[in-house]
Amino acid sequence: MPASLLGGVQMTQMPIGAVPKKEEEKLKVMKRPNKNIIKDMKKNYSAYLFLLPKLILFTLFIAIPVVWAFFISFQKYKIFGSEFVGLDNYIEVFQSDAFRIALKNTLLFTIVTVPFGVISALVLASLIFELGKISQTLFRSAFYLPTVTSMVIIAMVWRWMYNYDFGLFNYVLGWFGAGPINWLGQSSTALWALIIMQCLIPFGVGIILYLASMGAISQSLYEAARMDGAGKFKQWLYITIPQLKPTTLYLVLLSTIGSFQVFTQIIMMTGGGPGNATETLVHLIYKTGFRDFEFGLAGAQSVVLFVIILIFSVIQFRVLRHDE
Amino acid sequence: MMKKFWKKSTMSILSLGLAASVLAACGDKEETGNAEEFKGKITIWDGPRWADEDENKFHWMEEKIKEYEAKHDGIKIDLVQVPWAEMGDKLGVSITGKAWPDIAPVDISGSSVNIDHIEQGVIESLDPFFDKEAKKDFYDNALEAYTHDGKLYGIPSSITLHTMLLNLDLFKEAGVEPPKDGKWTYDEFLDTAEKLTFDRDDDGKTDVYGFSTYIMPGYYEAWPFFYKNGGSPLNEDMTEFTFDSPETVQAIQDLADLKLKHKVAPETHGGNDVGGTFQSWANEEQRTVAMQPWATWAIGAAQSTYPTNFMVAEYPSGDSDKPVTIGGVGGWIMMHQKDVNKKAAVADFMKYISSAEEQYTMSQNYGVFPARISAADMEPFKENPEMARAMEMSDQVVMLPRHTEWRKIDEAIQNELQLVFNGEKTAEQAMADAKKAVDKILE
Repeated sequence: MPASLLGGVQMTQMPIGAVPKKEEEKLKVMKRPNKNIIKDMKKNYSAYLFLLPKLILFTLFIAIPVVWAFFISFQKYKIFGSEFVGLDNYIEVFQSDAFRIALKNTLLFTIVTVPFGVISALVLASLIFELGKISQTLFRSAFYLPTVTSMVIIAMVWRWMYNYDFGLFNYVLGWFGAGPINWLGQSSTALWALIIMQCLIPFGVGIILYLASMGAISQSLYEAARMDGAGKFKQWLYITIPQLKPTTLYLVLLSTIGSFQVFTQIIMMTGGGPGNATETLVHLIYKTGFRDFEFGLAGAQSVVLFVIILIFSVIQFRVLRHDE
Repeated sequence: MMKKFWKKSTMSILSLGLAASVLAACGDKEETGNAEEFKGKITIWDGPRWADEDENKFHWMEEKIKEYEAKHDGIKIDLVQVPWAEMGDKLGVSITGKAWPDIAPVDISGSSVNIDHIEQGVIESLDPFFDKEAKKDFYDNALEAYTHDGKLYGIPSSITLHTMLLNLDLFKEAGVEPPKDGKWTYDEFLDTAEKLTFDRDDDGKTDVYGFSTYIMPGYYEAWPFFYKNGGSPLNEDMTEFTFDSPETVQAIQDLADLKLKHKVAPETHGGNDVGGTFQSWANEEQRTVAMQPWATWAIGAAQSTYPTNFMVAEYPSGDSDKPVTIGGVGGWIMMHQKDVNKKAAVADFMKYISSAEEQYTMSQNYGVFPARISAADMEPFKENPEMARAMEMSDQVVMLPRHTEWRKIDEAIQNELQLVFNGEKTAEQAMADAKKAVDKILE
């Protein structure tokens, strides 16, 4: 696809809220923080008032717990009077077999589910985009449904589907003379059963965002491609996918963070077992904190998880944006 | 029988504890406060118990609160209804946030509250409110479960144990006689399980299995089988892992082999599906397993929610020739209090809901045994032969080790047990691996 075809449409390929580079530069100048913050607050007090409730909630439920977790990661936490232990908790994290196993399982879960989720969202959104308005609304709602459904409910349904005696999967396998398989009861299949479940739950947010971004791609690009003789598939491959790159970057980051934090499915379906076959990082942090009451160690595990996610996010950001 | 057991195994420990308590009391006089002077709110957490005609499972506690408030002007008691499955987690979170209730129902050796919390001062000692005379009415082991360093940290309200439940309809269908008086050896049990495993409709597939249970951290239905040859998870002074002894390894392998070798247990045997396991024994539409081990609450469920024609049997005896079961003690604990008068009022209400009459009512309706001798003397199971039979097994009870790190030790063992039951490891390999993990914890 000629590069000229891609020029001049930067505004239209961005996800909601994103701005092109040149505009971003201008905005940076315009929105540079006022040196006199008090003066600025007086001048724009109504804006600050609107932000205040969210800021209070963010501070109370996100900022303070995060800072607190970092703080207690250097302590042997006790209800009345904790003691400072330096880096002991971090040393224990890196020497722990349980953490190593949980990290390995979480990485496998993420590496498989994130690409599958994003690619399937892209493919589904592309198929839905071609439909009429009513059909689009129908499929958009249907695929978004799992996003607004509690993961607890989804996990309960999937637990039944994986049931050895009465489950749907073994029932279907029975038609072909195969199975039954103890999906959640064997180390060799339990984690993969959870991965399959995650892959088969439609990535509703991804589909909605892709559909919104597709609507914003300039039709002139497709017209030019058609004039050059490009078929539907080539248009999708050389126009749609590249134009959706910022959305893809956002979704990859979003789903990677989500996958690293996988928890509900684990606690509802396997409890991390059999053995440690489905132990994941957040489930381990939960157990360390709320079962063993070792909040200092759990804090250190959380900080390490934060750093891992940060590293992955930076790598993904750089890889997916390197040509811009 | 009850008295005999609860006194037998821990008399010496308790004597030491009481002696320590007396000495401690001499040098460390605690303030008792005056309950009459307290006016204000007391918060109590409780889980669902038995239902009334309106299906309200909190009616007993609500009635007790109403009665107490009527007698004590100025005291308001707030009941927070917490599902049992969430009790441990919620209590853990509340402790972390120092936002605990005043009273909570807790098995002190369980997962939500532990000895570490006692040592940190989160749980109040009840010694100022229970003199020697008051303690006399409780079974020794029940008191011992709530005693640490000679001090009492809770009021025992109930005792539970595990029994074998046999579905007599399936026994009848298979033409098998249940064990006489519910007593049997492991070989007899295995023979019975084999006979109870059958293909109902001649389609070549097994429809009914003789036995099944599950393996999960914090659950001990299967564990009496592991004790059958005389083994235990830790040595007496709790410094060494001993579940890798040949007799225990053999006992573990025996139970796993019910599925792996003898095919008298379903594939889900040793899995982690508690609800599914119970349904396969009790639910009329799903009954596919003839024998399962359960805590005594299941007796109540099989008599009411899931009406089942069943009998209670002992765990089969092994090389030690003695049947064994695992017991537990439930009760009320008081969380840390700043106001001494409130502390006295909270203790007073705890005593009110733990009286002999209340324990008698609880035993009759809730599938537990009373922790008070006087409540047991009222014969709560006169018209409940299944519970009466289970109560007879109280002299077979062994308690789990009361190690501060028990939850970690338990998980290390149970994780390995799961791998034995799904055939990934032999019992010998699994317990060797468990030993490595437990030794690190014990270091």
